[in-house]
Amino acid sequence: MNDSLPPQFERYQRGSLIVGLVVLALCVAGGFHNSTQFFRSYLVAFIFWTGVGLGCMAILMLHHMVGGTWGFALRRLLESGSKTLPLMGVLVIPLLLSLPKLYSWATPAGAAEAASPFKHVYLSRPFFLGRTVLYFVVWIALAYILNKWSADQDRTGEPGILRRLQNLSGPGLLAYGLTVTYASVDWAMSLQPEFFSTIYGMIFMVTQALSAMALVTVMVMLLSDRKPLSGVVTPLLFNDFGNLLLTFTMLWAYLSFSQYLIIWEGNLQDEIPWYVVRAEGGWAWVALALIIFHFAIPFVLLLMRFIKRRKRILAAVAAGLVVMSVVDIYWLTVPAFERRGPEFHLLDWGTIIGMGGLWMWLFLSQLKAKPLLPLHDPRLEEALPHG
Amino acid sequence: MEPTTPENAPAVPPVSPVLRPGHTYASVTDKISAIVLVEGTRKGWWLGFVIAFALLMVMHYAIAMVLSMGVGLFGINIPVAWGFAITNFVWWIGIGHAGTLISAFLLLMRQKWRTSINRFAEAMTIFAVACAGLFPLMHMGRPWLFYWLLPYPDTMGVWPQFRSPLVWDVFAVSTYATVSILFWFVGLIPDLATLRDRAKKRISQIVYGVLAMGWRGSALHWRRYEMASLLLAGLATPLVISVHTVVSFDFTIAIVPGWHSTIFPPYFVAGAIYSGFAMVLTLAIPLRAFFKLEDFVTMRHLDNMAKMLLATGLIVAYGYMMETFMAFYSGNTFDRYMIMNRMFGPYAPWYWLLITCNIAVPMTLLWWKSIRRNVAALFVISLVVQLGMWLERFIIVVTSLHRDFLPSSWGMFYPTATDFELLFGTVGLFFTLFYLFIRYLPMISIFEMRELVHKTSE
Repeated sequence: MNDSLPPQFERYQRGSLIVGLVVLALCVAGGFHNSTQFFRSYLVAFIFWTGVGLGCMAILMLHHMVGGTWGFALRRLLESGSKTLPLMGVLVIPLLLSLPKLYSWATPAGAAEAASPFKHVYLSRPFFLGRTVLYFVVWIALAYILNKWSADQDRTGEPGILRRLQNLSGPGLLAYGLTVTYASVDWAMSLQPEFFSTIYGMIFMVTQALSAMALVTVMVMLLSDRKPLSGVVTPLLFNDFGNLLLTFTMLWAYLSFSQYLIIWEGNLQDEIPWYVVRAEGGWAWVALALIIFHFAIPFVLLLMRFIKRRKRILAAVAAGLVVMSVVDIYWLTVPAFERRGPEFHLLDWGTIIGMGGLWMWLFLSQLKAKPLLPLHDPRLEEALPHG
Repeated sequence: MEPTTPENAPAVPPVSPVLRPGHTYASVTDKISAIVLVEGTRKGWWLGFVIAFALLMVMHYAIAMVLSMGVGLFGINIPVAWGFAITNFVWWIGIGHAGTLISAFLLLMRQKWRTSINRFAEAMTIFAVACAGLFPLMHMGRPWLFYWLLPYPDTMGVWPQFRSPLVWDVFAVSTYATVSILFWFVGLIPDLATLRDRAKKRISQIVYGVLAMGWRGSALHWRRYEMASLLLAGLATPLVISVHTVVSFDFTIAIVPGWHSTIFPPYFVAGAIYSGFAMVLTLAIPLRAFFKLEDFVTMRHLDNMAKMLLATGLIVAYGYMMETFMAFYSGNTFDRYMIMNRMFGPYAPWYWLLITCNIAVPMTLLWWKSIRRNVAALFVISLVVQLGMWLERFIIVVTSLHRDFLPSSWGMFYPTATDFELLFGTVGLFFTLFYLFIRYLPMISIFEMRELVHKTSE
């Protein structure tokens, strides 16, 4: 009954905690030297790792709604991912305490420049803080309930819980869409307060789903050699994971390209500077890397069945997508500060690794706490080839 | 012992079937082919057909008038140069999305419930695209020169402007129409052979025989058939997305406030699927009652389609919300004025009717299972959504144009009789084609239903 994690995961967990604490401590030490750079790097890491947790929660709710065999193998990983959101709720505090270091609108000079009375109110510190608190309240509450009911289902096996999870997931996805949209406007878009784009929130949602799906694909590969997952994750299931990755990759490219084409061809003074910075100088190379490694190569690879059905190759592609998702967030946010090109500051690397260590530690300890497969989902019986 | 097996497996909650149990291969084939071959032409069919055909004649009249007198018969003028024609074009092409989506996308997703609705949804797609195609042609003013849009090496050395999304439209829509027709026809071949074999009249045997292209149902035929339909599905799925994306570029590439918005591509695609599923419901609900097809088009289908309406409708609502939010967030005077003008300007009643039809009514009701399983309510909602989606395109086209940057060039758009004749005329064209389809072709895929018999009897 107790399908604990393989022993090496104990090591991974301890290692993650040590890496997380040590690297973050070094970053904080670096922050005393260069606090502005520290917060910029910290913001990128924060947006990325919060996005992974949120992406896990969104895919989890999607699975509750539509079912499908692919989700049962991933469910515990996704649930554990969503349980990292309280940690991100703590890690956001340093950012909220130092808004003027990041956001020009939070400085007195920037506030005076606000283009409209609406923006003056919307991008004011109390309103911004209130919204961020609200986002985390919604996310943590959703993650808590989803995990709690799932644990109840394991314990009691009451069939009605499935329906409760389904009924929560519809409105839950709606709440997710709304909060992520405004969070993306607040945290990332307002770094360049003159810029606006109506598709922006959708791009963030897809980025989150893509990075989460890629990360759990890697994790499920690592777990797939041992029971209980070894009996469940067949090559056919990895094919499904590959198709989901392909879908999210295509969606990411579709939304990003649509935004680019519309803004490029419109060439309006409010919008185009955002791309001019990101498509010139050193950033052009980052943009090119995104096109090639975040779309073209994974797209071609994920079209091929023999790649999707070989779990190690698929996991390698997924790992590449995780890395490129970081680059994507970096390219979306950092050009607001470094206009000439990416500087790849040491703190950029440090914060993403350090925060990632903490994230992974919490993720693995959540994963340890529950059986790796849901025990009493009525649909699981139907879905598994040899239940 | 398998650790995952629960000791007391709880009963799986009952799911309504996609085919009512008790059917055999023969009963399915009899039931569906009899509509075409045995039952003959019914009175109700004649009544509907005559009305549709009369409307089609209205369309012919309107086209004849526009060809002889010119586009001055439409209510368009500067500043509103795009009136009903573009509204209707986008509306019809949107309706034409659900068929291919159901057939191709749901095929790739291995969704079995699509089987009984895909045939007539595909037919609906093709007829809707035919209606859509008429409008840009008529709106051109000199439709006999439409081939100027094609890049062919002419003696004048004139090429289409490839930076214009209107040229992309030509490629997107004609590719979509071609692939949709191929997909539909390939799917029909095994059923045409069934009709050929069952037909009693010589003329039917010949016509269905020619159309069946020598189908014998051998294992080799089936293998090739499966491969062809999988490839066509793979081709058609991106086309569903690309067509309405390109249609949305018609608007966004211009820098007119109300058109130039980055959310348009995904929101147009969602809106297209929204109106398309509404049209499938509008057609499916009377069809299943009229021809007693409740065993094949079950409550499960209606419920699933209602859920698709809810999901795509929410994306559409998201689009409206982002447009409004960004108009204020951006601080752009023209964007803000455009939104205020929509809400409180001369076209405000239509805007609020659009919000009622697309958001307020369906997005509150469809959350409830009792509504999703109420046939009459679904039928009404499907009509309301289609009205809403037509109004959406009208609002986007007209309110964005009639008051743009220069107040001195503001104006109003009032539709004329010709505008309405062409709109309702194409409704006639659509239903004429649809009535012919349900009379002469199997409206539900016979062989795919036989596959379902195999599955449900296991």
